[in-house]
Amino acid sequence: MTPRLRLTLLGAALAALLPGTAAVIGRLPEFGATIAAYGERINAIVPKERHVANMVSAINFDVRGLDTLGEEFMLLAAITGTVVLLRGRRGEDMTDRAMRLPGRAILPRSEAVVLTCRLAGPLLMLFGLYIVVHATVTPGGGFQGGVILASGTLLAYLGEGYSGWRDVVRSHWLDAMEGGGALLFALCGLAPMLVGAAFMQNVLPFGTFRDLYSGGLMLIENLGVALAVCGGFTQLFLEFLEETREADGPDEPGEDTA
Amino acid sequence: MSLLLPLLFLLTAASGTAVVLVRDPARQIFAIAGNGVVLAILFTALQAPDVALSEIAVGAAAVPLLFLVALMAVRAGKVEQASDEGREP
Amino acid sequence: MTWLPYAVAAWLFAAGLYGLASSRNLIHLVGCLSVCQSATYVLLLGLGYRWGSIAPIFYDHPPGTPAVDPVMQALVLTDIVVGATLTALLLVLTVQIFKRSGTLDPEHLKPMRRKGDTR
Repeated sequence: MTPRLRLTLLGAALAALLPGTAAVIGRLPEFGATIAAYGERINAIVPKERHVANMVSAINFDVRGLDTLGEEFMLLAAITGTVVLLRGRRGEDMTDRAMRLPGRAILPRSEAVVLTCRLAGPLLMLFGLYIVVHATVTPGGGFQGGVILASGTLLAYLGEGYSGWRDVVRSHWLDAMEGGGALLFALCGLAPMLVGAAFMQNVLPFGTFRDLYSGGLMLIENLGVALAVCGGFTQLFLEFLEETREADGPDEPGEDTA
Repeated sequence: MSLLLPLLFLLTAASGTAVVLVRDPARQIFAIAGNGVVLAILFTALQAPDVALSEIAVGAAAVPLLFLVALMAVRAGKVEQASDEGREP
Repeated sequence: MTWLPYAVAAWLFAAGLYGLASSRNLIHLVGCLSVCQSATYVLLLGLGYRWGSIAPIFYDHPPGTPAVDPVMQALVLTDIVVGATLTALLLVLTVQIFKRSGTLDPEHLKPMRRKGDTR
């Protein structure tokens, strides 16, 4: 199929869809007028029922916790697929140390960069932790905090260089964090069944409204998500960066042994 | 306030279109990061701070980095192919 | 104004589709896919917004203050994070395609061609 034919087909399809789209947009509720009844009920009930201030976290970890369990395993599957694809070519035993870079000049980092990264890195990690633990109180939670923590490790890459970064970030720990986080979330679902409650029923004491301890079981689930997201994203960065190294390998057939 | 949201929506449409229209992948990375920032601002204006926080961390930092590294991997492969023609990687 | 958010979402989706159809570089194509994805964010959050409401976080405001729809936000929040990992998966597939066939142009890809088999 030539590009021109394909674009013509796409144009025809979009033109055919246009009246339907316009009709749907015309029938959608007016922007800013109302919200869905489900969300309205959650806003009305959940602060009293669960002692949680952040409704989004309450939905993710309690009201629709089962959906988040599914999301968690989607995350795990996507990251596992990425890592398997990248590591499959490279060999499993090579994952734990930095690959050498023959023939590439090592540029010295300026002291300003090193200093900035050493100062900003711990602060960013602290901010990520803050976001994680305050999931049920203020905006944030395991998903956002996990990504921020993973980006924080990248400052170590910027400041200390690749091999320094690899000395700190161990691939096996990341595997354990990623899988352990998902396992923790699944256990949070199963554990209430031991005491005769339903799957993922919030059996822990709910704590105080607007307090760091509020939401009961949600806090543990949030921790599981944070572990899985942080481990998973750091693993992604690590494997991706390793890929740029490897392509630069030496000339012998088994370049992976570099 | 009622003027801010329409402007932000139009800006989102423009920045999303820019991601598509910038054909060079190296420049597209900047468009993607810009799109992430614009989306994060829009989400803040739509009273969704949780989503904005997630978008600023993922859309403006993590995803452009992944694109950058993928591009580096491809570039390194290209250099390798050009330097020793005939040897398959 | 009442239709603008939905029209923007439709526009983003159509623009992303145009990019998918016309792209000559697989990395660029993954970027276009992320534009399609952002259309769903705009649509969902547009549906969940209400004028004069606060964010669904009752820290500064007492519970009972009119707030926007938290369900849409929870949907979009997880979608963003999971979507990023899927983008990573697609990028890895792109890099693998490049390593096998030596090109990133979808026009030059032939099905099942094994030029540079790595194993």
